Amino acid sequence: MSNIHITVEFGGGAELLFDNKKAHPVTLPAKEKHWIIKDLLTWIKDNLLKERPELFLQDESVRPGILVLINDTDWELMDTVNYVIQENDRILFISTLHGG
Amino acid sequence: MCNVGDDNFDDLENSKYMPAKEKISPFSKCNKCREATPIVVLRSKDKYCKECFLSGTVHKFKALLGKHKLIRPNDRVLVVHRCGHAGTALLHFIRTGLDLGTHKKLRFEPVVLFVEDHSHLSLKERQELLKRVEHEINYFKFTMHLTSLSHLIRKGVNSEVLKNCAEILDLDDDSKSIIDNFVTKQTNTTNKTDFLNIARHKFMVDIAKELNCKFIFTPEISSDVASQLLTDVSLGRGSHIALNTGFCDFRDDTVKILRPLRLFDMKELGFYNHLNSLNPVTYRIVIDNPYKSIQHLMRKFVNDLQVNYPATVTTILKTGDKLALGSNKIRTCDLCNAPFEEESADLNSAESTQFSHWVSTQAHNSSLTSQERYIQTIEAFNNLTCDTYCFRCRQLMK
Repeated sequence: MSNIHITVEFGGGAELLFDNKKAHPVTLPAKEKHWIIKDLLTWIKDNLLKERPELFLQDESVRPGILVLINDTDWELMDTVNYVIQENDRILFISTLHGG
Repeated sequence: MCNVGDDNFDDLENSKYMPAKEKISPFSKCNKCREATPIVVLRSKDKYCKECFLSGTVHKFKALLGKHKLIRPNDRVLVVHRCGHAGTALLHFIRTGLDLGTHKKLRFEPVVLFVEDHSHLSLKERQELLKRVEHEINYFKFTMHLTSLSHLIRKGVNSEVLKNCAEILDLDDDSKSIIDNFVTKQTNTTNKTDFLNIARHKFMVDIAKELNCKFIFTPEISSDVASQLLTDVSLGRGSHIALNTGFCDFRDDTVKILRPLRLFDMKELGFYNHLNSLNPVTYRIVIDNPYKSIQHLMRKFVNDLQVNYPATVTTILKTGDKLALGSNKIRTCDLCNAPFEEESADLNSAESTQFSHWVSTQAHNSSLTSQERYIQTIEAFNNLTCDTYCFRCRQLMK
């Protein structure tokens, strides 16, 4: 297994938790087992999340109210946290909690 | 009656229990057109491709407005804008509906209102937010009026308090203390929130009248309506559910408040905005203690339950739809303006207690006969209760 290059994006106010940056090019280090979204969330928490993790993560998934799109498709159609990440995937997190 | 041995859990055929979230079936075509690959799942079971999702969402919006047949061409509608996905989606629905070339186009005159109410942010953040909101409303090419809640509290509703651009709206830097003083008589967060919501409602209606609008659109979505319903029942406003959570709030004679997004959920609107490349104005939120008020508690309850039981919100809504106003509508509450039932000649238990309490505090006038004392007492008591408040508002005004 080699490194995987993906883009992680944030919208709907979620970017406020990530240095106000909407797009983050990410290189996931090679490891034995496949990278799944659950692993990515842990990686994001350790490497990208700047503040208030409770607004983004809950248990071992995203907090309810955060929409997740994998290559512009609802992650619920792709087994949510168990989806196996591929090279050049674009993972977008949209918060529906901010504002109002 | 409940009996021992009545728990018939084997009989799941006639299950009265709410369905739990199911795993999505692997059949991978759009539910509607059966051809294209789906890109979104709604309510954990309905899959749609991009085209079917967009056309279905727009149709749902128009169908709800059209079903009630309330708005006539050229009616002026005050569109209340709020930050977030619901507000942005509403503006987009209206703009694209008005711009349609076909006979299905929307025909009314929208006027957008934004009431700045973010005193938890710094003055600079609030000014910046206001500019972004102005930019967003301009993007949709709507006439707009901007104001601030603390201005409305201080000066009331008049043409001077409504501005048409952000630059000339001079925000109060002590907004928080103005609002706190306004609700200072209320002793807990629940009552403060309740009182403030009634005030906001009044301001909204007065502004609509000032701007000659017959209707108001508010961006409440299904989960807001469901939490509101449970809050109303808890607080003693159960008789007003039809007004506070129905499609139309018709308590005022000239202005009707409509909730065109009440059947939508946040995921639908989030996806709708994403597919239309819309980015709502958002701001740093404060994580509230969810137990600090009944309103917060109900919101948490509904949202948490909805995660594992996606039928929660629709069940609450459908049940609420069956609760109409009572038929005897004589008096209107002086505070919330809702109608409440005519009181019968006999005192109800709350009033009886009130009467006993009051009588026992009156001084004894021995110069009158007992007959005269009796008549005087009754008259005095009736004069006391000449204020007209509904059950809940009476508690707020005590």
